[in-house]
Amino acid sequence: MNPAAFELVDVSKVFGAKRAVEQLSLRVPEGSCYGLIGPNGAGKTTTFSMLCGFLRPTAGEVRILGRPVDAPGALKGRVGVLPQDAVLPAGWKVGPLLTYWARLSGVEAPEAAAREALEKVALADVWGSGSQTLSHGMTKRVALAQALLGNPPLVLLDEPTAGLDPKVAALVRQLVESMRGKQTVLISSHNLEELERLCDGAAILDHGRLVQAGSMSELTGAAVGFQVELVPGSDIPLAEILAVPGVQEAVVDPNWQLRVRHTPVEPTVEVVVAGVVRVLLDAGVGFRSISRGQRLEARVLEVT
Amino acid sequence: MTFFQETLIIWRAELARAARSGRVVVLLALYALFSILSLLAISGLLRLVRSQIVGEAGGDPEATAAFEAALQDGLLGFLVGEAAAGSASMQALPIVVLAVFRLTLFFLPAYVALVGFDQISGELGPRSFRYLAVRSRRASVLAGKFLAQATLLVGLVLIIDLLIVGWALVSESGFTLGAAIPGLIKLWLVATLFSLAYLALTTLCSVLARSPAVSLALNFLLLFAFWLADAVGSGRAALAKAEGIDPPVSALIRYLSPSHYASGLLHPDLQAAGLSALAYALFAAGFLLLALLALNTRDV
Repeated sequence: MNPAAFELVDVSKVFGAKRAVEQLSLRVPEGSCYGLIGPNGAGKTTTFSMLCGFLRPTAGEVRILGRPVDAPGALKGRVGVLPQDAVLPAGWKVGPLLTYWARLSGVEAPEAAAREALEKVALADVWGSGSQTLSHGMTKRVALAQALLGNPPLVLLDEPTAGLDPKVAALVRQLVESMRGKQTVLISSHNLEELERLCDGAAILDHGRLVQAGSMSELTGAAVGFQVELVPGSDIPLAEILAVPGVQEAVVDPNWQLRVRHTPVEPTVEVVVAGVVRVLLDAGVGFRSISRGQRLEARVLEVT
Repeated sequence: MTFFQETLIIWRAELARAARSGRVVVLLALYALFSILSLLAISGLLRLVRSQIVGEAGGDPEATAAFEAALQDGLLGFLVGEAAAGSASMQALPIVVLAVFRLTLFFLPAYVALVGFDQISGELGPRSFRYLAVRSRRASVLAGKFLAQATLLVGLVLIIDLLIVGWALVSESGFTLGAAIPGLIKLWLVATLFSLAYLALTTLCSVLARSPAVSLALNFLLLFAFWLADAVGSGRAALAKAEGIDPPVSALIRYLSPSHYASGLLHPDLQAAGLSALAYALFAAGFLLLALLALNTRDV
């Protein structure tokens, strides 16, 4: 098993009478791209902030790359953070500000690192601009650039594409994809389609508790199921489908989606899909598409 | 990277930012204008009193000198304490310098609060503190910001003390450069030590409050509380002394107030001045320690 990039053990956070996070335990291995999912008020941002050391847990332990998060200097140069709601400090030009932060992170050649980070977010031309003169999107990209300074082994991103135009959002997704395998990335986001595309795994939170965590295929059921979008009005041969070797369950929902669950190992999913398709074709049932698993969004809506 | 290296980086960055901002100039102008107004008012008042003395002495030089000496002793006693009033070093400084300096010392805590009330709270509210917290120890952020503010204050105080002493050099006959330089150094050291203790208090308030406005209000609240504690405690002690009885326990409250030790800083006796200096150093250390504890345990 890969060593943990971060680990939460029985972590709780209470704000006055409100229990924002309750006995949350989660372990994410190094090198993965992981999502933090949940509806508003689920405890995502609180969990994220505890991982960054911004919030102190009321109970439990948070470890980052093997060290307690509250140990002095535990995050320095090892963790890059994009906080969702932090504004850039006033009275700075962007370039010198990033250089200052790079120097404080212990990055060698801080100015070069600052320029490289700005280039990564396609903002090399704002080097001399004031931190308070940038548009919302630019501010977000500068904040992202500071998270990437010195290529830290762990990058924590809170809503990295929220409020960005589609072109810049695509650039950010490309950036995250380029980190895959080299750095551990945690993304807290409401954009489930984006998370499904980028992440290897995710944790779903609701009311401060962990509802489900696992690999993306485990969450979406992709390893043990698929869906067939049928032509409405067809007469579905469900009995024949259930007779296909490996099929455990087959249902048609009101939207004419045939949902099939099958055995996880033998026969392989390809064999099961081929068997089901053959039954449908033999029965003259038309279909438009086949997709594996359940969409993450559907899964999240189901469990929260 | 060590705590000291981090502190140095933050100190340099904060100092550069402060130097770039117009706020330092505005604060310097505010302090300078206040000092000039005090100089004008106190000089005018002293001139008026002296002319009345000359009038009442009926032109007799000996009587005039005696009245002036009594006035000098009385004012010095009020400004630096009776025990210190008769010392040669105090007599060497013109009354106008001591009076204006004492007045600026009274308002310096409020000025310090205006200089540094948002040093931490200004970054907690908009959460820009998070960019620092992730790459540095919280203790380094506190120390770096405190030292940057302290550096500014030391500079501002020197400029103001130069202004006061320079004014006296021009306007007071008999006040020479030879007497002005040691006087200036003493006043500067006293003001620096005094203001650093209050800057530590301002830092504590700035750590406790997320909003700069609340930080400033809390700072002023504590200043008033300290002034009140000194006034009540000293009043009770003076009353007990006048009645020839032991001071009540409540009179001890004055020792908890930094302002109680202000006069002692100007005392010519090294031991007495050293005790006051120690009190201010302890207040500064205590406030900073509390600020560190608060910052280390609070959510940012």
